[in-house]
Amino acid sequence: MSSIPQTEYPLNTASPSPTEEQNHSRVKDYITNTLSNLLTELCSPDGHPSITVKPRSTKVSTRFINPQTGALETHVSEACTTYTWPGKDCYEAWRFTVAMRVLSGIADAVDKGVVVSKSRDIYYNDPAIFGSQRIVDRLVDDFAHTVGVDRTALNVGAAAKGLVVGCFQWRIQDPAMVDDAHFFNPDTLVPRPQDIQGLEVSDIEWVLILEKEAVYRRLAGMNYHVRSMAGLGILVTGKGYPDLNTRAFIRRLYDESRRRQASKRIRFYALVDGDPDGMGIMSTYKYGSLAYAHENSALNCPDIQWLGLRTSDIVAGVDPSGNDALLSLTERDRKKILAMLSNNPVWAVDGPEQEARAELLQMLMLNVKAEMQILYDGDGGLVRWLDRRMTHFP
Amino acid sequence: MSKQYLSCGSAGNAHPTDIYGLAVTDKFCLSASGSSSLKVHTTVDPDFPLVQSLDGAHKLGCHHVVTNAKGSRAASIGFGGEIAIWSCHDGVWAKDSTAPANQTGSAGIWAIALSEDGQYLAGVSQDGHVKVWDLNASGEEIRDYETKGSFGTCIDLSADGRFLASGHENGSIYIFSTETGRMPFSLSGLVKPVRAVAFSPGGKFLAAAGDSKVIVLYDTSSGEQVANLSGHTAWIMSLSWSNTGEYLLSGSFDGKVKVWSIDARACVATHSETEKSIWSVRWLPKVGRSEGFATTGASRSISFYREATGG
Repeated sequence: MSSIPQTEYPLNTASPSPTEEQNHSRVKDYITNTLSNLLTELCSPDGHPSITVKPRSTKVSTRFINPQTGALETHVSEACTTYTWPGKDCYEAWRFTVAMRVLSGIADAVDKGVVVSKSRDIYYNDPAIFGSQRIVDRLVDDFAHTVGVDRTALNVGAAAKGLVVGCFQWRIQDPAMVDDAHFFNPDTLVPRPQDIQGLEVSDIEWVLILEKEAVYRRLAGMNYHVRSMAGLGILVTGKGYPDLNTRAFIRRLYDESRRRQASKRIRFYALVDGDPDGMGIMSTYKYGSLAYAHENSALNCPDIQWLGLRTSDIVAGVDPSGNDALLSLTERDRKKILAMLSNNPVWAVDGPEQEARAELLQMLMLNVKAEMQILYDGDGGLVRWLDRRMTHFP
Repeated sequence: MSKQYLSCGSAGNAHPTDIYGLAVTDKFCLSASGSSSLKVHTTVDPDFPLVQSLDGAHKLGCHHVVTNAKGSRAASIGFGGEIAIWSCHDGVWAKDSTAPANQTGSAGIWAIALSEDGQYLAGVSQDGHVKVWDLNASGEEIRDYETKGSFGTCIDLSADGRFLASGHENGSIYIFSTETGRMPFSLSGLVKPVRAVAFSPGGKFLAAAGDSKVIVLYDTSSGEQVANLSGHTAWIMSLSWSNTGEYLLSGSFDGKVKVWSIDARACVATHSETEKSIWSVRWLPKVGRSEGFATTGASRSISFYREATGG
């Protein structure tokens, strides 16, 4: 479709995978074509400059769990949105301008081969015109979807957010320090998936995914990944809802696990709050998110087991912490649970997470939730609780 | 003194999810769960077979189902907050078209109760309002009592319809006179969330229980606490009075079911067949001289018990 020479490949990373290279040229093609079309139209007296995107998941007709991949996926009726200049009114003119500014921000990042941190960098170029970072965010996603790549290929990566520590080694290509390849025992931010060059995880038996950074710090501080009764492992937190990098890393570990013998697989555990967000976070790792439905099958980790926190454990007094530590649901919590039950097939009546569904309904019935801090004060604290749970689960 | 109740059958896996609500009439046992259908089992047949499934009753599942004494009308409320009214004709349950619930349930109602004749529906809301609707007048709201705003967890109407009681998350218990719309007195309440309130059949007592694991009996003429029944070691989720008012039935979160003698102020039977939480317990209509009850909860089954007789 285009004759743009592909020799000007400026990425000074070591040796990008073929798909990454292909993605890169697709991105360059798309940007060059779109921008040159814009120029042509602008130069002609009765030209109509326009930008067309395929917004991701606009009209979702059905959401379902793909039985092959175990990922949350959607059937989307593909619709296109076209931004034109000058448009019918002020609003359309603004929409076009914003789309063009975002596209040129992406073009800039791709040209220079630098990763702009999230959409924030683009947004702060001209906050007045964009209005909010969300608008930039959505457009970046839409452009990625239009080209058919994930957003890291547009060099608009999210700022690293997840944290990881554990008994493993890797080599990281740091995009900020081009020719410096690290090899170390990490306690570090989870990098972009394409920057992980070598990963050696043969020693580990488990991966513990934590919702809360505070819990992660506590466990990492006492070297739980080494000292656990369940063997050597890896601690990961996405600090709440995980970003794509953290999900991609968990998926990478899952892919490593699947290469092992059935009996030697890595065990994946999630420890989240006993509240709707905790359940939502666990589901994001295990099945994916509604927002990135088109990427879920490459990011989900179906092996995740739900370690806790279950409100029923607290209420029934199985945990020694007692039940004075329970909190009432807020109105937002109750609304969120209802939305989860009605919109997401993960928790449907015939869905794959019956235990989680029962837990959500029970939260509504009892109007209670339980936060992780409860475990700090229990008999032997968090570590003893974890040891018991993780050795108990097969 | 102790009494013996024997298991006399069960509706195994009556629902695919936890069963939260149970309502019993002279012929039927209606149950509500985390799935969208209400199930109707007959209590006349000793095998308690399923006789009807009200499919699609509540999309997100249903937590309370109640009936009037005659067994002619039922009301159910779903997790989405919607209320459905049902009526029974010739042994078949169907949506009650004469009692549109269009105005009911709009105000974040959580628990509901029906009057003996089925004309009045009462509900307590998540923001602590207690409301009454006249189902024979297009579901018009005829009462709205305001309390201090704590989540309303449970409600009951006295058999004569003169009193309404509500229990709340902050431990408060309120009694309203449906005639005057006033509180005849304030009750001392419980320290922890209340999960169940129930008037005795003659209206002499109000029983209340919840997270404090104790059942408190109030005298409804004075509002004084007249007894504390302790013995449960977990949250009490449901209460039910026997037809004569001699016995009180209770079920708790650890799966225990207890029968209490009101005269003796003591527990006379304890059942612990399951460790799964009990969400609802109900006495069955008396057959001959023998009384029985039904229990349900996280076991997803309904268990039936009858008093051992003739020993």
